[in-house]
Amino acid sequence: MGQSPTPHGSAPDLRVSLGPLQLANPVLTASGTFGYGLEFSDFVDLSRLGGIVVKGLSLKPRPGNPPPRLAETPCGLLNAIGLENVGVEKFIEDKLPLLRQRGALIIVNILGNTVEEYAELAALLSGVPGIAALEINISCPNVKKGGMVFGTDPHMAAQVVAAVRKRTHLPLITKLSPNVTSIADIARAVVDAGSDILSCINTVSAMAVDPFSRRPKLANILGGLSGPAIKPIALRCVYETVQAVSCPVIGIGGIQTALDALEFLLVGASAVQVGTANFVHPRASLDILDGIERFCRQQGLGAITDYIGTLDTSCRFPLADMSCDLSHPRPFP
Amino acid sequence: MPRVQEKAKILENHKEAEGIYRLVLYAPRIVPTARPGQFVMVRVASEGSDPLLARPFSFHRLHKEDGLFELLVRVVGRGTQLLSQSRPGSPLQVVGPLGRGFTLPTSAQETVFFVAGGIGIAPLQALLDHVLTTTHKDHPERVYLFYGVRTAGEFISLNSLKRTGIHLVLSTDDGSTGQSGTVVEAVQQSVKDLSSMPERLYACGSLPMQVSLARWVQGRNIFVEMSLESMMACGLGACLGCALPAVHADGPEVEHYLHVCQDGPVLDPRRIRWDKVQPLMVRPQTYVSL
Repeated sequence: MGQSPTPHGSAPDLRVSLGPLQLANPVLTASGTFGYGLEFSDFVDLSRLGGIVVKGLSLKPRPGNPPPRLAETPCGLLNAIGLENVGVEKFIEDKLPLLRQRGALIIVNILGNTVEEYAELAALLSGVPGIAALEINISCPNVKKGGMVFGTDPHMAAQVVAAVRKRTHLPLITKLSPNVTSIADIARAVVDAGSDILSCINTVSAMAVDPFSRRPKLANILGGLSGPAIKPIALRCVYETVQAVSCPVIGIGGIQTALDALEFLLVGASAVQVGTANFVHPRASLDILDGIERFCRQQGLGAITDYIGTLDTSCRFPLADMSCDLSHPRPFP
Repeated sequence: MPRVQEKAKILENHKEAEGIYRLVLYAPRIVPTARPGQFVMVRVASEGSDPLLARPFSFHRLHKEDGLFELLVRVVGRGTQLLSQSRPGSPLQVVGPLGRGFTLPTSAQETVFFVAGGIGIAPLQALLDHVLTTTHKDHPERVYLFYGVRTAGEFISLNSLKRTGIHLVLSTDDGSTGQSGTVVEAVQQSVKDLSSMPERLYACGSLPMQVSLARWVQGRNIFVEMSLESMMACGLGACLGCALPAVHADGPEVEHYLHVCQDGPVLDPRRIRWDKVQPLMVRPQTYVSL
């Protein structure tokens, strides 16, 4: 397998390369769950993270959906925020300079009502120093125009990505929706259209109702489910996407701990984004990063890249093997 | 002001009334900068993912010299039910202090009204403690606490409130103690009796109380602040879930929201579009286990 063993006392190499985007480590924060980064600066040294993906930006400020916008579900969070954001202009003027001072690698998530709006946003942000990449949001389930409408149709998804590609040289990440029959089809379409990297998944379209008032719990009726409840779905989507395309993939969905993150890396994600866990524990992203480093040391891994995509699917466990003592995991092959 | 995440230790957990518990927490890193009206996010389950999110609670009492604060917990869901069962000695994950607190009175000359509906006494007690040890220390008679609940058994801390020297006006929906009717009706009656308006009014209570009070203060020249609640995921201004429809300077046709965690939880109720507030934005009245 060509592992680079960790020399005694030296830190494992956590750098990952996502095509044109180089990260100091594979832990990013997910858009919509970390504000503009500054909201968490009392808890997290932003410069330690692989990067932060800021709250999705539109050309003009958006007020978002009417409340109630949140409902908690077993092991999950249902939201219908509706992409409330300050708009690209205010972000560039007010938020970005402060964020840059903190030394964070900044990825901007963009969203539009039309293909042209996505392209215009890309052009605007391309001329601004301090932005490492753009993440194209074609998968938000909470808006009527744009969002998931683009992300569930391979042709439309490709149109958005191609239009954005023409207007920027920044690395492009396309964020995919799980609310499709075949995530692989969408993945192939957007990569062919010029996406350098894929991130998956966005929230899962879902619903919560109140049996006493007989009303939906969200004013929007439907929302996007996130948190630990969706991790197995996300893991499957990442696995299928990794099989379908050759570009790097970022795993997102219910990552709460370093072990969760490692599962995504194991199936082939080159990096992960931590989302809802930030709400639960403001330091979650750094705890996950520290946990990955500890894991590498424990496993004798010199570099995290030695671990990425090493899932062994050829192995079929006979029933008898399941009785083995899992508290002593076998050494890494 | 720095916000911190702290493993706070539960020192006491008392049942104060049916479904209402008072927790005393030791949190020496959070308490020093905490102010009346601010809140903390309390994670109920330190292990596991259900319930997933932390819950927001206002400071009920602050004991800065001891590094302690108190919370009043009303059982409204599974999270608060678990919290009510927490044992002394066990730790809780707490993030705070968060949000904007009350604007503190500056003059003993001001007549100050506190209007508490049910569990709404929670944040008002911290402010009352502050006022009675600072501005109104020598003039408790200029402080009025209107405290209304559904029935007499739901009152909290009545004995200590009676000892403060303030005007304590109690009301119950069922007439079992004090005036019969709502706490807002008690305020209106008092203003009539006194033939004067207070300079300041601080309030916290149920949605119907908030709506009723907001209607009453509309157009009146009183300084008013109300502690509001909304479903939150983070409490830090990141999730944007705790939005409340708000008045915009450009007119009612402009869609505009305030966020309880950052713009509040203490807000002038005249800034909120109460006509657009849906009943489900506040939590149900009682926890039902079927």
